Amino acid sequence: MSADAATHDDHTPSMWDWRRWVLSTNHKDIGTMYLVFAIFAGIIGGGLSGLIRWELMEPGLQVFTGEDTGWGALFGNAHNYNVVTTMHALIMIFFMVMPAMIGGFGNWFVPLMIGAPDMAFPRMNNISFWLLPASFALALMSMFVPGAGADLGFGGGWVLYPPLSTSGHNGPAMDLLILSLHIAGVSSILGAINFITTIFNMRAPGMTIHKMPLFVWSVLVTVFLLLLSLPVLAGALTMLLTDRNFGTAFFAPEGGGDPVMYQHLFWFFGHPEVYILILPGFGIVSHIVSTFSRKPIFGYLGMAYAMVAIGFIGFIVWAHHMYTVGMPVDLKAYFVAATMVIAVPTGIKIFSWIATMWGGSIEFRTPMMWAIGFIFLFTVGGVTGVVLANAGVDQALHDTYYVVAHFHYVLSLGAVFAIFAGWYYWFEKIFGVKYNSFLARAQFFFFFIGANVIFFPQHFLGLNGMPRRYVDYPDAFEFWNAVSSWGYVIMLVGMVLFFAVLIDAMIRRRKADANPWGEGATTLEWTLSSPPPFHQFSELPKIK
Amino acid sequence: MIRMPLNKNARVAAFSALAAAVMVGAAYAAVPLYDLFCRVTGYGGTTQVAVGEAGAILDREVTVYFDANTNRNLPWSFEPVQRSITVRVGETALAYYTATNNSSQPVTGVATYNVAPYKAATYFSKLECFCFTEQTLQPGESIEMPVLFFVDPLIDEERRMDDVASITLSYTFFESEDGGSASSDAAP
Repeated sequence: MSADAATHDDHTPSMWDWRRWVLSTNHKDIGTMYLVFAIFAGIIGGGLSGLIRWELMEPGLQVFTGEDTGWGALFGNAHNYNVVTTMHALIMIFFMVMPAMIGGFGNWFVPLMIGAPDMAFPRMNNISFWLLPASFALALMSMFVPGAGADLGFGGGWVLYPPLSTSGHNGPAMDLLILSLHIAGVSSILGAINFITTIFNMRAPGMTIHKMPLFVWSVLVTVFLLLLSLPVLAGALTMLLTDRNFGTAFFAPEGGGDPVMYQHLFWFFGHPEVYILILPGFGIVSHIVSTFSRKPIFGYLGMAYAMVAIGFIGFIVWAHHMYTVGMPVDLKAYFVAATMVIAVPTGIKIFSWIATMWGGSIEFRTPMMWAIGFIFLFTVGGVTGVVLANAGVDQALHDTYYVVAHFHYVLSLGAVFAIFAGWYYWFEKIFGVKYNSFLARAQFFFFFIGANVIFFPQHFLGLNGMPRRYVDYPDAFEFWNAVSSWGYVIMLVGMVLFFAVLIDAMIRRRKADANPWGEGATTLEWTLSSPPPFHQFSELPKIK
Repeated sequence: MIRMPLNKNARVAAFSALAAAVMVGAAYAAVPLYDLFCRVTGYGGTTQVAVGEAGAILDREVTVYFDANTNRNLPWSFEPVQRSITVRVGETALAYYTATNNSSQPVTGVATYNVAPYKAATYFSKLECFCFTEQTLQPGESIEMPVLFFVDPLIDEERRMDDVASITLSYTFFESEDGGSASSDAAP
């Protein structure tokens, strides 16, 4: 491959030139900004979850006491607990996982992997990114303006169900949140259009659609899901907005509307959304497993089309989130069956990863440990997902901590582990310096143990009937809640180690190799220097 | 020099943008479609509106229970006159509800309704109902409101309906909002 970068492109602007970032049209710079943004949002979202675990460590009210003295007044009352759970979810979804996976790694590596000089619409890429801080600012502001009566913030859960989000929250907090999500949606839709155009039109000569790296496949499927599901959320949010402020009654029964219709619209977006969060992770993990097993990925086409199948089925299973609204049993039967079908393509992926490792020359480098951690934890979350798919079982487990444990296993442990796997896989490529792999592995172990200690006991709590979204609980649930909160402390140590890795790499500045992983790393980004030149592939690489 | 195929890119982008716009449209189209879907399938217990009486009257009997609810913002008392009526399938029956305005203002209310079990909804037909229109009550005024209904004889031909011996008809009265309504009639 003649993929070596043109060396005459030496006009990289200075790190400290603000125009390089604010006016950036460079996919790598924009990708870096997305990653930094995701880390920043992750700190806030993770801090909010710390408040949740702190409050739930013991029965009774510890943090959200509503008292006007000392610490209590700082965090408010039980309403603010609900605000914190709501914002934890929205921040982690819209401002941490999505920017990291799609905006960060997607922007960085989709053009590199398909041998393109940049994204198809570099200026639109700039807008996509800069809409996000605006959106995030609105979301944060909503926590500090009146939501329900005198209580600050919106405390109705990230699903924003009416009537709690319409007549239940009369203050401006919900309006700010609607505007925030609208802007985040526009940002993602523009990004999706950009990725689709880039992947369809800008692949290097010889790179047919069936030769694309799996990460590119995963982003392609993801952005299609974004393109088709986010507008539905935008529509539903607009209906909420007009119901709240302009006297329409889309979701108000007194005007002939129906609150359940909001749930249908929301989950038509919401279910594809959870695949949006995890699919790029599938792509990342495929590359890592293949690289460190020194084998091509097992069943490439099956892997690619399994993602397409997951994306497609993701659009026709939404009502499994709302079994308890009173659906006819036939409809439930359909959604149970359709939901369980997803286990088939997902199983294809899990088994293909295992088959890739099978007989491979496996090296347990840092990214591989995260990737194997991902596979294990995602499988645990997937299995509880199949349990919850059953309408009869879900009737009992709906909105309990069992559900919380399930989706944190696939997202908090699945998606986040995939992000860290990608982070340590591409760290040297992105930043051009090596990291301390001992610290990075230590972070993995603290994360792996911590996350399991947090979320595994929540299965027990849920099976015993502890509901979600309550600030307090009966004494019987104390033990496992305390264990869960200690798990948070373990994970927090992991987080400290994450920053230790960053600071260590920043101080020592050991020059990175173009390809630190050896012959297993076969995709185009490893043919470039680390970091890659500011502009790459001015001569397009030829794929044989 | 890199050749940027702008036209090709613009085409893909335009198609993608169109797809996004269509999905926004689909979200709004869901409003009338959902309403239509509920009416056709009886989803969520949406009852049928009939124009004429049922053709045949069968021997099978069904007990219809009447249930009344009032939204807490509506200062009315609202209840059924009779708790239940046992009718023969296909027989047209008349039931009454009473509503009293307990406030010192004229208040306009509107009722939503459904039946349980949901699966019986497609066989529960109303010829005449106070819930089809808004009701305005003067301060202290009390009225009796009729519901004229029958159970469709087709219910006897469906095996799934063999266990339906009773149907509960439920109303909830809300204060009518003067602002326009999004969908013309009640969804479940």
